[in-house]
Amino acid sequence: MASSTVAQPELEQIQRMGSADLVIGILNPGADDLGVLPGILHQAVASMKSAARVVVLCRGLSSESQTRPEPQNGEFPAVAFLNWAAPEAANATAQALLESYQTVLTVSSKLGARACVIIASELRPPNMQLVICRLTQPLLELGFDLVSPRYDRQKTEGLLNRSIIAPLGRALYGERIQNPIGPDFGLSGRLLETILARNQNTRVSQGHAIASIASTAVCQGLQICESYLGMRVQMPTQWTDLSSLLATVLGPVFIDVEMNAPFWQRVRGSQPVPWFGNSAPVTGEPGVLDVQHMIESFHLGAQNFEEIWESVLPPTTLLELKRLARLPAEHFHVPDNLWASMVYDLALGHRLRTINRDHLLRSITPLYRGWIASYAIEMENAGPQQVEARLEQLSAVFEARKPYLVSRWRWPDRFNP
Amino acid sequence: MWDQVGKALDASMVRVLSQFASLLPGLMALIAALLLSAAIAWVLAAIIRRSLIGIDFDGRVPKWGFRSLLEWSPANSPTLLVSRTVAVAVMIVGFLIGISAFDVALTSEMVLRFFEYLPNVVAALVVLTAGAIISRFLARAVLIGAVNLNLQYAALLSAGVRWLVIVLAVAMAFEHLAIGGGIIRLAFGILFGGIVLALSLAVGLGSKDLVSRSLQREAERPSEGTREPVGHL
Repeated sequence: MASSTVAQPELEQIQRMGSADLVIGILNPGADDLGVLPGILHQAVASMKSAARVVVLCRGLSSESQTRPEPQNGEFPAVAFLNWAAPEAANATAQALLESYQTVLTVSSKLGARACVIIASELRPPNMQLVICRLTQPLLELGFDLVSPRYDRQKTEGLLNRSIIAPLGRALYGERIQNPIGPDFGLSGRLLETILARNQNTRVSQGHAIASIASTAVCQGLQICESYLGMRVQMPTQWTDLSSLLATVLGPVFIDVEMNAPFWQRVRGSQPVPWFGNSAPVTGEPGVLDVQHMIESFHLGAQNFEEIWESVLPPTTLLELKRLARLPAEHFHVPDNLWASMVYDLALGHRLRTINRDHLLRSITPLYRGWIASYAIEMENAGPQQVEARLEQLSAVFEARKPYLVSRWRWPDRFNP
Repeated sequence: MWDQVGKALDASMVRVLSQFASLLPGLMALIAALLLSAAIAWVLAAIIRRSLIGIDFDGRVPKWGFRSLLEWSPANSPTLLVSRTVAVAVMIVGFLIGISAFDVALTSEMVLRFFEYLPNVVAALVVLTAGAIISRFLARAVLIGAVNLNLQYAALLSAGVRWLVIVLAVAMAFEHLAIGGGIIRLAFGILFGGIVLALSLAVGLGSKDLVSRSLQREAERPSEGTREPVGHL
């Protein structure tokens, strides 16, 4: 059961509590900041008008800082803290994060919460209260069903999201959500129940819970908004783990694409969603990408993965990839059209199970590294506005190529350019 | 005396003719069985051919990863290969049924032995098929893992794994067919060990420069370089 990571005494307390207005799951608190977390949460809750009872699920809270949700003079405290054996940040794999998501959703459902906020990013005290309020207020005070995050990012950050997940989601579902798989989210009780019921009925993997949040909200016609949450602290990925990350993240995304096919085939164009807050200038130096290493990785993939790729990619795409592999490093460039077509073909290959799904997802690694190299060369001296314009252009190409996906999806054997 | 010769000749002729006549039903049964099995084989092959053409079997086989089956097939068509294999199998069964109709001890014994041996053939075919599928799966997994680790000798590793599994499967199939006995086991041991040794030598000596360059490049990468510079999500 998903809530098994919550200890039995806490589960019993949850049952005794009966209900809560708001559940906040903090999946990855900074170890040094756990002491100040309760105070900040009390302040944040005090500023909310419509949340009388709040339950906070958080790992690593000291026994002194926990407020047991026992009735005091017949009433529950405004904020009740529940300790939770979620995986530690250092060991937090993508899979463990997904399990934690499922736990928070299940506990929120048990408590019949009107809203549920999940914070998976590492929180820093100056930002903590802001993040909680920006994810909570649109749900409780403005009637939104989903609050999706916007982050202030360096141009080299969040590239999997910026190159595949966000443009794909925008083209398919018609809503311009910058971070469709969060990982920080605010969900209304209505959306929460829909997601849990859907996941229970379809028996999908735990990873699907996070991938299906935004798409479920869109498919159900629920109210969606975005909130600026400032800069996001992210642990760098061990480069040898990149293929595992791609498999863990893109697998559920492609399953979601398959499940929502009847919906997205009817969607045309896209529209922006309302957002709250403003972006702030990004501080610090952008990470330096090892472009040469990435191009080498692409070349190695092109040499060895021909047989795998030709089972999912059409001949014209394979021809383009061969041409790319012959280009010198300084002229290396992955055209947007080619990239969008490849992502669509891979989603289709995943659906058709032409080859083992895990193999397919892991074989994307050299292609993704090739795209990063191309992007890094192109954006080497670009400022934030140029980067945004470039990514907007990529998303527009994904939208323009959508008829290609629809044709291939409907007639995979007949339409194979 | 001539009467006796005539009687002996008559008796001999009657004996031969009666023996020949006793063979006739069996012969007729054999011809009938062959004709019937040929008709069944033809119908069955036609049905299978049409069904496989209907699902574009020839196009799907390479997509499923059995490209080499094309080379083994008549006119590069796995559909023809399957339909003809089924037809031949039906004809063989018909022939065996016809042969057993002679009711001769030898043919009956032969048929009995054939059917006793048939499970071994089926088991060997299953082992070979499973071996081919597993070898392909493992080779691809190794190839993907090695390429994603930027190992230049990824294809070599993958081929090594593939041949190890195939050799193992072939040895097991021979074991099932009871062919070779101890020789196969010995040959398998030598071949298996040989492949491992060849791989070790290829990696250790033959590709020494390649491997050392590859390892050196990874070793020289600064410690922070072993990480992607930023988070991807």
